[in-house]
Amino acid sequence: MAIESDLDLMLRVRDGDAASFEVLLRRYRLPLVGYFRRMVRDQAMAEDLAQEVFLRVYKSRERYQPDARFTTWLYRIATNLALNAIRDRRDEVSGSADEDGEGGATLERFVDPCPTVEQRLVQRDRERLIRESVEALPDNQRAAVILHKYQEVDYRQIAGILSISESAVKSLLFRAYETLRVRLEPLLRDGQI
Amino acid sequence: MKCIETERLIGYASRLIDESAAVEVRRHLEQCSRCREVVDQHQRLGAVLDEWKAAEPTPGFDARVRQAVDAHEAQQRSRGLWSWDWMRSLALASLGVMIVAGVAWFVRHHHGASHYSQVAARQPQQASPAPTSGRTANAQTPPVAAAVNLTPAPCLPKLDSLTPMSSDEKVAQAMEDYDLAANFDLLSEIPKGEPRVAN
Repeated sequence: MAIESDLDLMLRVRDGDAASFEVLLRRYRLPLVGYFRRMVRDQAMAEDLAQEVFLRVYKSRERYQPDARFTTWLYRIATNLALNAIRDRRDEVSGSADEDGEGGATLERFVDPCPTVEQRLVQRDRERLIRESVEALPDNQRAAVILHKYQEVDYRQIAGILSISESAVKSLLFRAYETLRVRLEPLLRDGQI
Repeated sequence: MKCIETERLIGYASRLIDESAAVEVRRHLEQCSRCREVVDQHQRLGAVLDEWKAAEPTPGFDARVRQAVDAHEAQQRSRGLWSWDWMRSLALASLGVMIVAGVAWFVRHHHGASHYSQVAARQPQQASPAPTSGRTANAQTPPVAAAVNLTPAPCLPKLDSLTPMSSDEKVAQAMEDYDLAANFDLLSEIPKGEPRVAN
């Protein structure tokens, strides 16, 4: 059975087909929750925002115009929600940066070979450093990196999502990746990848 | 040998440049260890970033989305009864009824008032009909109504109000109007009393 395109599904949702909406929900539930989880960190908030995206897609189904890719439209809604949530919660997020209860982790901690420490803890520390490095990026760079690296969205599409030019997207990504390379340099050196 | 700018190297490592540009960078990397190191670092960065795993939705997520959609549908259905379209139609219909009623009231009132003044002006003549009256029999006020001095209802149209006045009637009406004007002059000459003095 051929996989139906997002566009066909959305056009059928527009015509009132509830089953097509279910297919879209199953197709994008994981990417959207993952996207929001990386953007806002908090799991409950990520799910609330993902739910809001699906609800907005459903509410605006009658006005849907297939003039852009479905994922561009979907991630544009998601990105706007995420950036608003980040702005709203910026103080709160910065105040509770150490939700794992291990604040003040230094880069030396990650380069220090410690064969006796459980691999899960090391991995958790590495993951936290990556997360904090991405979260420290400016909002637009952060959204561009997450869309490009984790959601595997093409930079041309990111331009549509962020409503900026393709060259501006490339510029954002160059700066973001270079910043990350510098911040995560200890992880790049230790060879434990 | 001149090194390639960092942006292009990052673009190559991150697949942000097209294939023709990538071929050129690849050719350069075969000869330049410095640029190769930059590309290697960014490729390693890509692998390190992959360590940040995505979180999965909790089990109740789909149900909550369906619930939100159902709630929205229910809200839309209940709002349908009192939608803006419905209310706009009601408002327009009400406005139409008010306009029609207003026009009807105006026509009726205006027509009745002119009829009343016309009939009132003729009443003295009807009480003592002048021998020169040229009115036709069917246009006269019924003798019973004249005898008991009945005043016709101003709002009810009468056939005689639609009948054009003869020249005699016009003269009689002009005389009535003259008497009224003369009385008005008399009334206006009545002294109005001493002017008030302010305290």
